[in-house]
Amino acid sequence: MVDFARVQKELQECNRDFEVSGIKVIPTSEANLAHLLGTIPGPSATPYEGGTFNIDITLPHGYPFEPPKMQFATKVWHPNISSQSGAICLDILKDQWSPALTLKTALLSVQALLSAPQPDDPQDAVVAQQYLRDYQTFVSTARYWTESFAMVSSLGVEEKVQKLVEMGFPEASVRNALESVGGDENLALEKLCSC
Amino acid sequence: MISDSIPSASVAMAASNPKDFAKKKRANRSAKLKQCKLDARREQWLSQVKNKGVCSKEEVNREGSTPGGPMLHLKNERGRPIEKLEIQPRSEEEIYGDGSSTHHYSDSESSLSNSPTSSVLGSNDSGLNFTGSSSSSSSGQSSISSSSINGCCSGNTSEEDEGDAGDDGCLDDWEVMADALAATDNKQKQHSPNSEFCSSLSEKHENAAELGSQLDATNQPFSGIGLLNANPESGGMTKQGGALNRCAWRPDDAYRPQSLPNLSKQYSFPLSSEKHFGQRGPVWGSKNLGPIPTTCPICFEDLDDTDSVFLPCLCGFRLCLFCHKRILEEDGRCPGCRKPYEFDPVEREATLDGGSLTIKLARSCSMMERS
Repeated sequence: MVDFARVQKELQECNRDFEVSGIKVIPTSEANLAHLLGTIPGPSATPYEGGTFNIDITLPHGYPFEPPKMQFATKVWHPNISSQSGAICLDILKDQWSPALTLKTALLSVQALLSAPQPDDPQDAVVAQQYLRDYQTFVSTARYWTESFAMVSSLGVEEKVQKLVEMGFPEASVRNALESVGGDENLALEKLCSC
Repeated sequence: MISDSIPSASVAMAASNPKDFAKKKRANRSAKLKQCKLDARREQWLSQVKNKGVCSKEEVNREGSTPGGPMLHLKNERGRPIEKLEIQPRSEEEIYGDGSSTHHYSDSESSLSNSPTSSVLGSNDSGLNFTGSSSSSSSGQSSISSSSINGCCSGNTSEEDEGDAGDDGCLDDWEVMADALAATDNKQKQHSPNSEFCSSLSEKHENAAELGSQLDATNQPFSGIGLLNANPESGGMTKQGGALNRCAWRPDDAYRPQSLPNLSKQYSFPLSSEKHFGQRGPVWGSKNLGPIPTTCPICFEDLDDTDSVFLPCLCGFRLCLFCHKRILEEDGRCPGCRKPYEFDPVEREATLDGGSLTIKLARSCSMMERS
């Protein structure tokens, strides 16, 4: 059973200094605190600067004694993050997890991973190869993905709804989809298409 | 009885051990101290003696057949008490009447291992008693108080003689005790002139001597004192005396044996150590562990008193017992340092110094055993 008391306090703690850290964690639904959406800003001086990356967080039953399951909901071009699934290769989310860590510290670690890729231990082999062999191309690709996928969320909710409705989806389902994915219009679009 | 006592007294003098000369000085010193307060306490002793005089008579009767120098000496003393009950007034001059009397006094004390004790108590009457008995042997004078004391002592010796061959060992113990107590008596004189206290003390010592000798020839003098409370004869007086006896020597006591451990230091040590630990705990925490959190970093619940002293890992990471147990069931690694918790209590105790710390660890270890 997830320790929801701890999760609640973590959310309060994390969102209290949102202005400083830029990291935010919100529950995807009020009813289920085990499914959260984390948001981290792209670190400066990296191809990810300016982007806002959504991370889908699922708390296992053993949390905080088991690591939270995190994967990028926003598409990212990074050697240690799957460009397909958004899976993150980070030790603290696996064997190096500690109950003393929190969602916020884990997200901070993910943010640090964005600024310090580890191509020797890749999650996405293609990106890692590109990073090692053609760094400039890697940077430009990462920058493009950031601008394409990570900056969309800067749009207002109504703008996203408007955009998706223009694609032909009913407004109610668009709003539901946006809400369920934390406002990311790309994820919402995928969800709408999969339905 | 009186007639018997006189010859026995002479025998006792003759039988006194040459070893006792070393103790003469002590006896003389204590005797001087005792003399000062003899008069004031005499009346109190009289009342006490009456009660004990009966016992002493019975004992004397029993002892009549027992052989041996010290025994004879004791007889003399016993006999005297009875006589002495009649002779109430006794002056210091009488006691010291002549050089021989003093000598006898010392001899009597030496011969009676108990006598030094009493003399030590001495400021108190017990010392006087023996003195009186010894002097009386020569001069024929005796003090009532001595009779009471002698009665007790004779009772002891008689019983020992009858059933136990370990008298000598017992006597030696009492000599040691007497030496130790001498300092106490002197001090008590100075600080507490109350004659009742002194008398009660002497009684207690006598009683203690009885009990100690009866129970065990090798008993420690202090254990004998402990027994005093159990003696019905001592009554309420014993209680007061017991409290006083426990005070023993004060650190500034001039006559305090050097061989004794410094009580003030002993007492100060735990106190200082507590202070030390008290100071050290925070320091230790601030240096290595940081401030003790008020909430468990794992479950965010408040740490109770037990949790706040629970230190399961050397890295200083604190957490509540529930979370600790949970971790031990699954991961087994400290959340703070990711190192596995150690399960060997001996190893932990060896690596850590500080009693409190080991206690905490022991508890955590017990938890581990449970889990």
